[in-house]
Amino acid sequence: MAHIWPIGGGKGGTGKSFLTGNLGILLARQRFKTLLIDADLGAANLHTIIGLSHPDRSLSDFINKRFLTLEETVIETPIPNLFLISGARNKLDIANIAYEQKTKMLRAISRLDYHYILLDLSSGTSFNTIDFFTLADSGIFVCCPEPTSIENFYGLVRSVYIRKIRQILKSYHFRKLAEEAEARNPNGIINNPEYLLDILKEIDLEKGRMIERILQTFQLKLVLNQVRKQDNPKIGILICKIVEKHLGLKIQFLGNVGFDERVHDELCKKGPFTDKYPYSQATMDLKALAKGVVGATREEAGVLALALPDVNTLSG
Amino acid sequence: MKRFIEQNFYELLGIEFDASSFEINRAYKENYQLYHEDSLISYSLFSREERKEILAKLDEAFSTLVDEQKRSRYNQSLIECGILKEGTKSQNGRRTIGLISDSDHSRKNTILAIRGELEAMVSSNAVIQEILTHDVLRGKDLKRIREELGVSLETVAEMTKIRTIFLRAIEEDEYKKAPSEMFLKSYVKAYAQSIGLDADSVASRYLKGMSD
Repeated sequence: MAHIWPIGGGKGGTGKSFLTGNLGILLARQRFKTLLIDADLGAANLHTIIGLSHPDRSLSDFINKRFLTLEETVIETPIPNLFLISGARNKLDIANIAYEQKTKMLRAISRLDYHYILLDLSSGTSFNTIDFFTLADSGIFVCCPEPTSIENFYGLVRSVYIRKIRQILKSYHFRKLAEEAEARNPNGIINNPEYLLDILKEIDLEKGRMIERILQTFQLKLVLNQVRKQDNPKIGILICKIVEKHLGLKIQFLGNVGFDERVHDELCKKGPFTDKYPYSQATMDLKALAKGVVGATREEAGVLALALPDVNTLSG
Repeated sequence: MKRFIEQNFYELLGIEFDASSFEINRAYKENYQLYHEDSLISYSLFSREERKEILAKLDEAFSTLVDEQKRSRYNQSLIECGILKEGTKSQNGRRTIGLISDSDHSRKNTILAIRGELEAMVSSNAVIQEILTHDVLRGKDLKRIREELGVSLETVAEMTKIRTIFLRAIEEDEYKKAPSEMFLKSYVKAYAQSIGLDADSVASRYLKGMSD
């Protein structure tokens, strides 16, 4: 089964597509069969990062049923082992697809035969982005060491977790618990996942703990991109520490990627960066990240073995 | 996990019950870095009131734990609440509370732990790494490294048991203040080791500077 890694971040311009594209290339170069999916439905550009200018098919062909299977939308890239489902030529309204469509899409994605599937998401905290994280139960956040980016990152993390909690309540039919929690927290005033979990546990300890356990299988990672020499290299680790301390969430820091002027030039030439500058700091950093992704995926096999209660045996 | 604001002072600062004053100082500095008004790390994570509350709590934790008397009173209150047991092992089982400052064994462990952390800081600090590429190391280089690590001269003295006048002499290249060259060499070695540097390599490069 393929491992799906949604890649997103609160703010635009942090380098999600750059990271997705180049991580994909590095994984493919290690002979992992890798698929990139441009799920930035409103503003796709992943194809440009890997040097393909005019993809003839895209994800929207599957959503619009021009192709009946997702496989048909896959295109080959100039890089061996690297494949792409482009988001180019999507229709405008496609940026707002329904939850059911996303579930269907993700189910189709998880049936594809690849080692790694990287999903390039749009920025912001719209349900479009958040749902891909919650549905895949894993994800990589990309953030820059700047206040604007960090602010949006914290916003995204909170939203992802709160939405995840709501979805668990819904999927296990914990209706009473959900209603009571809603009554104690009208209009979602409490936006701290840890406090929300406390409320749930107060109302129903056993179910609250179960939700907590499910949340623990959620595998989230953080990457800091465009880290300049003058930046504190420990910021990423400290952010994860503070998120655990104050929001009660475990996010693993995957690493820094150094800022490189030449990324801009290479983008203008529409070529893949890691191929052109194999020995630059940024490429070294990306290679370390690729290693981290492979390691995290192996680790997760263990996490999945944790048996979660069956949906049908519990209701409320 | 307990909510942040409900944690005791040790948990709050992320230190062991028998932390030395050096560790308390450092933990406070590190935490302050996370929570102060202009901190990039916690930017937008807290409301103004929350941040104020956190900082006040940290201040209280720090000022209580650095003061021997206040600290023992606070420990007593933790013992009364059943959080702390007199003489029991602390979490990692390595050290015991009763042995905070009067046991050489515990002191050694503390120093080893500090050194380990300093070593990690040395390898990740670009300024220090640059200095360490020099063929010859001067007193001012050592001073710069020590300051980068945020270690006071008094702390080095506490760890090495070398008097501060000798340590200062090393940093000011006043070789004559040391009793002999042999002493100087062993002092430099102890100094270097205490702040997480490779003792032999630093000492030989320091002595090179002497013959210039």
